Amino acid sequence: MPKHALSFVLNGETVDWEVETNATLLQALRENGVTSVKRGCEEGECGACTVVIDELAQKSCLVLALEVEGKSVLTVEGLPAAPGKLHPIQQAFVDEGAVQCGFCTPGFIMTTYAFLKTHPNPTDEEIRHALSGNLCRCTGYLSIIKAVKTAAEALSKPIVAGEGGEGDVR
Amino acid sequence: MSDKRVYTDTGIGKKVERKFDREKVAGTLQYTDDLPFGKDLLYARPVRSPIASGIIRSIDPRKACAIPGVVAVITGKDFPYRFGLYLKDRNPIAIDRVRYMGEPVALVVATTEAIADSAIEHVKVEYEALPAVLDVEKAVCDPSVLVHPDLEHYKRVPFINPQPGTNIGNWFKIRRGDIEEAFAQSDTIIEEKMECPQIAHGFLETHCCIAKQDIGTGNITVWSSAQSVFAVREILAEGLGLSTNAIRVIAPPIGGGFGGKAGMTIEALCLSAALHPAIKGRPVKLFVPREEVMLSSWVRQAYIATIKMGISKEGKILGIKNTFYFDTGISAEYGANPVRSAGYTSTGTYYIPNVWTDSYAVYTNKPFGGAYRGFGLPELMSAMEVVIDIAAKKIGMHPIEFRIKNLLQPGLPTCTGMPMSEHALEKIIRKVQADIRFDEKEKPLREGFKRGKGIALAIKAPAKPADAASSAIVKLNVDGTAEVMAATMDMGQGAYTAYAQMVSEELGIPYDRIRLDYPDSATHPYDWQTVASRSCWAMGMAVKEAATDARNQLLALYAEYWKVKEEEIFLKNGSVLCPKKNLSETFGPKLQNGFPMPDGKLKGGPIIGRGRFVPEDVVNPDAETGQSPKSVVHFTVGAIAIDAEVSERTGEIAINRVVAGYDVGKAISPINIQGQIEGGTVQGISAALFEGLVFDAQGKLLNKDFTDYKIATIEEVDFPIESFWEETPEEVSPYGNRGVGEHSMISPAPALNNAVYNALGIRFHRYPLTRERIFMATHAKKAVTEDCYD
Repeated sequence: MPKHALSFVLNGETVDWEVETNATLLQALRENGVTSVKRGCEEGECGACTVVIDELAQKSCLVLALEVEGKSVLTVEGLPAAPGKLHPIQQAFVDEGAVQCGFCTPGFIMTTYAFLKTHPNPTDEEIRHALSGNLCRCTGYLSIIKAVKTAAEALSKPIVAGEGGEGDVR
Repeated sequence: MSDKRVYTDTGIGKKVERKFDREKVAGTLQYTDDLPFGKDLLYARPVRSPIASGIIRSIDPRKACAIPGVVAVITGKDFPYRFGLYLKDRNPIAIDRVRYMGEPVALVVATTEAIADSAIEHVKVEYEALPAVLDVEKAVCDPSVLVHPDLEHYKRVPFINPQPGTNIGNWFKIRRGDIEEAFAQSDTIIEEKMECPQIAHGFLETHCCIAKQDIGTGNITVWSSAQSVFAVREILAEGLGLSTNAIRVIAPPIGGGFGGKAGMTIEALCLSAALHPAIKGRPVKLFVPREEVMLSSWVRQAYIATIKMGISKEGKILGIKNTFYFDTGISAEYGANPVRSAGYTSTGTYYIPNVWTDSYAVYTNKPFGGAYRGFGLPELMSAMEVVIDIAAKKIGMHPIEFRIKNLLQPGLPTCTGMPMSEHALEKIIRKVQADIRFDEKEKPLREGFKRGKGIALAIKAPAKPADAASSAIVKLNVDGTAEVMAATMDMGQGAYTAYAQMVSEELGIPYDRIRLDYPDSATHPYDWQTVASRSCWAMGMAVKEAATDARNQLLALYAEYWKVKEEEIFLKNGSVLCPKKNLSETFGPKLQNGFPMPDGKLKGGPIIGRGRFVPEDVVNPDAETGQSPKSVVHFTVGAIAIDAEVSERTGEIAINRVVAGYDVGKAISPINIQGQIEGGTVQGISAALFEGLVFDAQGKLLNKDFTDYKIATIEEVDFPIESFWEETPEEVSPYGNRGVGEHSMISPAPALNNAVYNALGIRFHRYPLTRERIFMATHAKKAVTEDCYD
């Protein structure tokens, strides 16, 4: 399979990769060491590979890698402001017990990230609808709904001096 | 606190941040598929049988072998070993004969996954189709099609009872009292049939394994998405005739298990490649895509129950006669044991003096049934708790009063004869009854719906061999931190959180200074398996003992060092104190490097605490009667009630509210118990509403992905789950705690079934309660009866 040059912004930094023309974004990310995107079904059913492409949450198994040329791709690795300093969404998932096995978690967090940008004060129903493309078999989802609300609250508070800053992607 | 003189803010019962959650939300936790193996890595893909039963006439791999990048094509004859946990009836690659659609018949190994993927199309296999048996009742009665004609030659553990010459892979019996006499004395007899289909685990991480043989020593290393490294190691060693220490099994974090990664799953298949001469010691990876998990991995067994019950006019159940057929598919190597588990709990949560139970594992030409959260009990109780409601109605008793009248109260014998231990089930039932407002007829919240409430009780013991053992090590470090080696797989249930809380409780070391890592058979001490809701209890015993052992060493050393009595020393939040002599210091280098004693000599060295546990007095039930003075270690009980409403127009079931409570003995990690209750409840409701594998007449699975095999999404969970627990301490237990991981999955289905009955007046005898079936039944009802068997 011939390889093509691909240039895009990954978690805030421009990367130049060589990818096969038929490679999905999921495959390209994983081959380049971005393993937070999981192959749970590789056909768009489970959401474990969700990333944010230019503000929109997308299942990276349904996007060809070459489609993100010139675009910005955010994965969960790109969220912490500094090592050990979690993004408010990540922190909310920890605090609310919204994580069990953790395999679906990066996908849920990325869907939540894009969703809260457009719905800063979501209702339960909006949350359920927004996250309905992500499957979780462990938690029963109630703690995830709580986490999204907790994250929305945290994000609506002004950033305290000394927190956030350069790497803060909220 | 107690005579331990240990103080901590992060011990048992406290809210703490779960271990490894930070890595999980940061996406940095590496699951098996995420591990890097470099350019040497080879990829394996199985060629799978397109028929459910047949003879393999020939396999011609030449075209596949000619494809650049293909390294080897392995067939069953290259790897003629049989494996199994309880019954060795499973070949990783079919030899001469295929038994289900999707069975591996060859394994292609190539330099890339894409090459392997395309090469499988070029392995030419000729089959001669044979009749398949897909219907479990036909498989029992008709020996003309035998799934395993060689059953008598298979090795097995003594408590599994296969019937050669039939399709019965295990037969478990209870014989107590005089069942016919009990029925003769009864005023009311009911006999009911209930069915559950095969269902899939639906873990988000599919199976993945990497195997590598060292060409210098011949030793094997396996990295696998497995629940139990030591079970994998033993099953591989036994099957291959190798010593256990020639095999190292490493289990990275797994993305959900629910029993589907218990025992040995795909590891032997992967090893068939790694051990092949053409591979020459390169690592081989076997990743199983979603559709193939559904086709070829363990499922929850389908189940058909016939339950006959005799009841006195006072409402006492005098006798029960059970026939359970578990559809174990082509392998009973693991599925044989849920059959026992349901069998030795076959009076549910009730005391019934006369019991006759036959519980069978039945071979069919379908994917194989194995362990699944609840291990035979969701199947049992989805029948039993419906039958109890039917019986109560028939004799005109309140369903809850009928349950309590016949309840397996503490001290009464379970169906194996062992006395039931202390529990708060009656209190839990009353709380569930009150909280769901069971006796209040409430108006539906949705127009055109009918509302009903249903209750069901739950019970389960850890189902395992009598000698399932655990061990743990607690190591103290130079800076007063601790490391715990406990080979439990923390697959989300939060075992490592609980163990760290236990160590904090015993040593006074703050929780965040205690570290655990995922299992590696080369470094961790032995543990039987991460299954059966046993870990926090059995491994908990070992962890507590190891922490206590470390504390005793530490106290003895400090007593000598400070010239005080051990009883005068306190441990508190990472420090050691002797208030009497006004001495104190934080845990530090002495724990590792020794103490300069008053006699001028250095004493001690690294403190390592050791703990181990095996239940002392479990006796496998008698083969003929099923009786045993102690058949299991303990039972956990609980109750669930569901308030639901149903639309006759569309068949939709809407849930208003769920209330569920369990007697956990002692809550070690409240955050994890709540997580287990909520998660299991939704998994149980998902099974009840949506789930079942569907096969065509040839045995082809029709719903093999998440588009066609629906599991609950977040959209379906638009109702609250009010969970609670009681704490009646278990006698033999680290802190009185008992297993609770599986129990929440056991009875949502019958509670929902009972609620639907109370809403519609239609009794469903088969799961799942899909919209289509509800709709069809509501429209058929007018013409037929209240019972729906379709």
